[in-house]
Amino acid sequence: MGSNGGGTLKFLNRFDENELLNAYRVAVYSRTLDDRIINAQRQGIIGFHTPSAGHEIPQVAMGMLLEKDDIVINYYRDLTLLLFRGVPVENLLDHFLANSEDFSHGRNMPDHYNFREYGFYSVQSPVAMHLPFAVGAAYAKVMKKENGIVLSNTGDGGTSTGDFHAALNFASVWKMPIMFVIENNGYAISLPTSEQTKAPIEKKGEAYGIPGISFDGNDIFSALEGFIKAFEYVRTQRSPILVEARIYRMGPHSTSDDPKKYRKDEIVPGSSDDPLVKFKEKLKSLGILNEEFDNEIKKWATEDIERKLEERMKIPPPSKETIIYDVYENPTWIQEEERREWL
Amino acid sequence: MDTRRRKEGMAMRQLNMVQALNEALDIILNTDPYSLLLGEDIGRDGGVFRVTDGLLQKYGKERVIDTPLNELGIVGTAIGMAAYGLRPIAEIQFQDFIFPAFDQIVNQAAKIRYRSGGKFNAPVIIRAPYGGGIKGGLYHSQSGESYFVHTPGLYVLTPSNPYDAKGLLLAAHKLNDPVIFLEPKRLYRSIKSDVPEGEYTIPVGKAKKLREGDKITIITYGSMVPTVLNVVDKNNLDADVMDLITLLPMDLDSIISSVKKTGRVVIVHEAPRTLGVGAEISALISERAIEYLYAPIFRVTGFDTPFPYANEEHYLPDEDRILKYVRKSLEY
Ligand SMILES: Cc1ncc(C[n+]2csc(CCOP(=O)(O)OP(=O)(O)O)c2C)c(N)n1
Ligand SMILES: [Mg+2]
Repeated sequence: MGSNGGGTLKFLNRFDENELLNAYRVAVYSRTLDDRIINAQRQGIIGFHTPSAGHEIPQVAMGMLLEKDDIVINYYRDLTLLLFRGVPVENLLDHFLANSEDFSHGRNMPDHYNFREYGFYSVQSPVAMHLPFAVGAAYAKVMKKENGIVLSNTGDGGTSTGDFHAALNFASVWKMPIMFVIENNGYAISLPTSEQTKAPIEKKGEAYGIPGISFDGNDIFSALEGFIKAFEYVRTQRSPILVEARIYRMGPHSTSDDPKKYRKDEIVPGSSDDPLVKFKEKLKSLGILNEEFDNEIKKWATEDIERKLEERMKIPPPSKETIIYDVYENPTWIQEEERREWL
Repeated sequence: MDTRRRKEGMAMRQLNMVQALNEALDIILNTDPYSLLLGEDIGRDGGVFRVTDGLLQKYGKERVIDTPLNELGIVGTAIGMAAYGLRPIAEIQFQDFIFPAFDQIVNQAAKIRYRSGGKFNAPVIIRAPYGGGIKGGLYHSQSGESYFVHTPGLYVLTPSNPYDAKGLLLAAHKLNDPVIFLEPKRLYRSIKSDVPEGEYTIPVGKAKKLREGDKITIITYGSMVPTVLNVVDKNNLDADVMDLITLLPMDLDSIISSVKKTGRVVIVHEAPRTLGVGAEISALISERAIEYLYAPIFRVTGFDTPFPYANEEHYLPDEDRILKYVRKSLEY
């Protein structure tokens, strides 16, 4: 689903109508997929999900500005970005279903993606642990004289970890071409950002010598404008930057969470404040989209996902001996013996 | 099999462990353009134990990095480097300070290959001086090998002499999985051995039999090796002495075949007894060779206390304590 270019660069001197429309289609597809996976979880088809609803806008904006050689070291709530960079829905479904076609043999909980072919690293659970890793990946890129930069995303809760602070400091001391993006959705499970930190997130880089930028991530043009500046900075200065995209987590933290216990929803999906609805209205006012076409996109997304889900559900689970593999390059006698005695 | 060829002209020198490790690092940096070192004070200062002495001057600061003081940062970034094609060797100044990086080691390095279905791996070596005997008190003396031996996905290696140290580090560099390389700091300069110039490797996963005997098997590793050898030699013990060298995965076959021959086992290590490496060895033997035993398996270890400053010579298993349990086993 990458952008297809063409036309005149009307928007922010950078994007044409098709690119904006493509971003919207990916965002709609992502929301539709999110909703379907939540349903599938309720039906007992899929075990778990951390929905990305509310995160679509900054993620398509990043997608529009990423280049082929850039490495993305993301976290579990970046579904839209995976779709934008071309991860096939079939592969995503295999991952959610943890079936035998899943690249990691169903070893991971849903949302712990492994799509190296599409320029991503592998997602772990411990929050923000991948940030120092991302600095090391950038170091490898620089030392091997490769093109591109590293983009590393995490949540607002992640900014409280030691990993975050270590990563910022190392990135700055080593002057690495890396962009840290905080997808500040207002909550870390139940903890509001106001109790996560008393300092503005974009300022957290300053003490390490890293500039920060913050913008309304619910609005496509403000997100694009912010990210254009940030990408340009990292690409030209080959130095780190800290980006805060202010958004709102519209769903529960995960399918195991009930946000009614700790908050009143401020933005209701489908309402006029829903960033996806605002995106649609903007495209309509620009004459790029009309209701009819919008309905077509949504119908296509729903049907496409339904058909593919049905198809992928037929795939059997991974064989049980896949438990034993990939601990080391070659199993040691310990794994070999455990396999022999078990099977 | 050691790959060392006793070629004509391959010079042997008497080196200490620090010099031997320094040579191994020099060879790695010289032959592998993607290798690099990182850690605290390893560049200008050459490391607080001087293991990296002179390497900054030779290879430059892109490949010998004096890092900020943050172990999770050192190890976390090293894993990222490794996953994206470099061969980093991180130094943790003292193993006692590795714990901020524990999460990175256990939850990132050790699990990358598994969770990515083999698409990523992390060939990172984490070197750490460990153990007591230098008057380091609670926080410069610990032997934390068990924490790592309990983690599938890691290799845990520890040499006991200069020759093995060089060959083992060169072998670790050829592995495509993360390695915890524990250096017994008490032995850094206290012993010298013949070390050949150039490259050779010590096999990973193989123990070495340092003395051959029929009456008892003494299993040890790292810093306790010289003490055990003293006990055996001074008392003319008819003992198999096994230096494990690799703690994960342990050389099961050598342990079991020795135990089947002698029927008596004493395990010696510096780390506390509870769930120490000795516990695993003891369990492996009782599962596979219990009917060969004439005596219970005894463990001679550091006490289950933090590591004391003033009384460290009593905390560490000494010759008397080892001999006491050897006799207890022999007389059982
Ligand atoms: C180190 C660590 N502590 C706790 C958890 C459990 N946990 C998972 S997600 C989460 C909240 C993360 O919030 P945030 O960083 O804001 O990301 P968001 O989920 O809001 O996108 C917590 C506490 C964890 N995964 N890792
Ligand atoms: Mg959050």
